Amino acid sequence: MGDDILDAITGRSTGTTVVTVERGQLALFASAVKDPSPIYRDPRAAAAAGLPGIPAPPTYPFVMGNFGAFPELQAEGGGSDNPMAEVLGPLLAGGGIILHGEQEFTYHRPVYAGDVLVGRGTVADAYRKESKGRTMTFVVVDTVWSDRETDEPVCTSRMNIIHRG
Amino acid sequence: MGDAVLYYEDVHDGDQAPVLTHVLTRTDLVTYAGASGDLNPMHHDEVKAQAAGQPSVFGHGMFSMGLLGTALTDYVGIGNVVRFRVRFARQTWPDESLSSRIVVTGKRTEGDQHLVDLDVRLLNADGEEKVVGEATARVPARG
Repeated sequence: MGDDILDAITGRSTGTTVVTVERGQLALFASAVKDPSPIYRDPRAAAAAGLPGIPAPPTYPFVMGNFGAFPELQAEGGGSDNPMAEVLGPLLAGGGIILHGEQEFTYHRPVYAGDVLVGRGTVADAYRKESKGRTMTFVVVDTVWSDRETDEPVCTSRMNIIHRG
Repeated sequence: MGDAVLYYEDVHDGDQAPVLTHVLTRTDLVTYAGASGDLNPMHHDEVKAQAAGQPSVFGHGMFSMGLLGTALTDYVGIGNVVRFRVRFARQTWPDESLSSRIVVTGKRTEGDQHLVDLDVRLLNADGEEKVVGEATARVPARG
């Protein structure tokens, strides 16, 4: 595989997902990351902390596409695209493993229970490096989550996925 | 936890956040798998993990970042993180004791915002770095 394919996927959309953020899911996730704070469980505690609603733990945006992406929320014909799989699928078929190399979140405001958010993903970069005799293929995907009502950005997630051959 | 407010005036270079320590269990991995929707068997199925050449199941990288996120919000306050970035340096294993190490690296104002920059790490009991990164929080000023 030449690097043409890496150039070809850079800038491509990974699709659009609309999610609703549910309170029960936030409490469950907070427990899973060992945070017992009542702010994630009781709206009175959240209000006492000056927050307008029950917030999501900082890393929740990484997983929120796995929940609450109900069919009626999705735009007609929106669909998703998977340029990352086009690169990593054939590489993985030839062996090696997939690693999560880096993760970054930029928060414009906290995510709150009840939010309906639109996530738009783009391949920000794709490149190869040689390391200790192995070929490492990096794919960087940015997902920008915006408030569906106001269209204002809420959180940007940057994920760096590595195939190590 | 989460109750004490961190004020800008009280933050200084080199300040360390309270350390959060947690011993990783297989139950944690199953709980995180369910709560995150990440059902990669490497994190919950010992048979498949060993068949793939791993000594046992191992932790989700995002569990490590999530645990570090808990330590971070314990210090700066829930809802105050504006940026959080990490590199996943090493796998985590059941029975490892994982501890946060969060150190203030600077503070600054941007417009009317009071920002604190932090070096954030998660280490095991031998000091091996599992997750290394940085974060920025917007904190209140006494002003």
